[in-house]
Amino acid sequence: MPTTRTWLQAGGGTVAAALIIAAVVQAMNSSAMWVSNDPVGECGQTSGGAVVAAQNVLSASTGLEPVDGSWDAESEVATKAFQAHNGLPVNGCVDTGTWVTMRAYVISLCDPEFDCRGPDHRVRYAAPGGAREAYFADNDCDWGSYVLPGVAHTPVTSNKIMALSRDAVVEIECEG
Amino acid sequence: MVTSIEEPRIRPEWLLGGAVTLLGAIVIIVVTLVLGSGEEEPVVTPADATELTAGTCAEDLRQPHWVPDSVRRAVVECPADISAGIGRTTAEDHLGTWIVYPLDGAENQETFRGGPGPAWPEDEVRSGAYHPASAITYVAYPGSAELSDEMSGDNVMVEWVDLAESGLDARVTRVDNNGFGPVRVEWSDDAGSYLLLGTMGRTPTGGSGPTVAELIRIADSVAAEDE
Repeated sequence: MPTTRTWLQAGGGTVAAALIIAAVVQAMNSSAMWVSNDPVGECGQTSGGAVVAAQNVLSASTGLEPVDGSWDAESEVATKAFQAHNGLPVNGCVDTGTWVTMRAYVISLCDPEFDCRGPDHRVRYAAPGGAREAYFADNDCDWGSYVLPGVAHTPVTSNKIMALSRDAVVEIECEG
Repeated sequence: MVTSIEEPRIRPEWLLGGAVTLLGAIVIIVVTLVLGSGEEEPVVTPADATELTAGTCAEDLRQPHWVPDSVRRAVVECPADISAGIGRTTAEDHLGTWIVYPLDGAENQETFRGGPGPAWPEDEVRSGAYHPASAITYVAYPGSAELSDEMSGDNVMVEWVDLAESGLDARVTRVDNNGFGPVRVEWSDDAGSYLLLGTMGRTPTGGSGPTVAELIRIADSVAAEDE
């Protein structure tokens, strides 16, 4: 007959194992979100947060305007120029290969081990009239785009509005 | 016997010839000076790349001692500048310092004429004729020991490379799209962690940007001469 102590040890071990598994799964999901934006353009979504993320990179790399989450002809031309310069198949669609390439340009603003608040990653291109930049935010459960200037910021999966120019930046909330 | 000695005479044709020669020499000198003034001053690449950041907040930062010859200048962005740009949402002592080295040369210049749209001919876009300027971005995170999360994907190649001079290991991440694409070189030492980013760009005439070997040499130069 198991004693109370045995039950407590077994229960504690189960809880600890569950926590470890949950942490690993969370970390894997976090990484996956950064590298697997939904396809954007003719091959996928034409509006929403995934579009904002792609347009955000294109605004820095090609000068695309506006970044409004609505896919259009200008966005497609910008994508083709980005793809051509980066050696990708030129089809105007931000597929996985194109998004992974875009993602490689994203650089952490803070120490990689430090949890920044607000915008903590950036794409920056040198340009004749000054640098062109695009900002992103990332945490354990989600990531999103900051669009400058203004307050139209659309995270990809949490669909929460984040404002770079407001006094208090809204953080991505991890639920559950 | 009377001997007459003729006074030496300057013959008119000599005078004319001398004047013409002098005038010719003056013309040659003037033309040379005028043409010479139109040429750019010879650009001297500093013997040590740290000279490019002299007088900036990066002056005392651990940074590259070597950059390719096509680098003539550096643009430094301090943590205070970055903090101001993102609404001061994070402590400056956790922000990295950025040094951007623009690359000279026609193939490295930005070719955009207006924003992307129908005015950009399709065939030129497909050839890589519309591209941004090439630059090498260096970011230092003093006090940090971590690198960014490792990337993955079908077109991502990650390898660890020995830095011969400094004795460190660097993680080289290539997004290899038929030989083109971004390259990240990341490493850490006792003072912090570092990132170099460059693009091997495709252009109608071949390519733009630094090579992987150049990025690795830059990384190796960061610590090599400080020790």
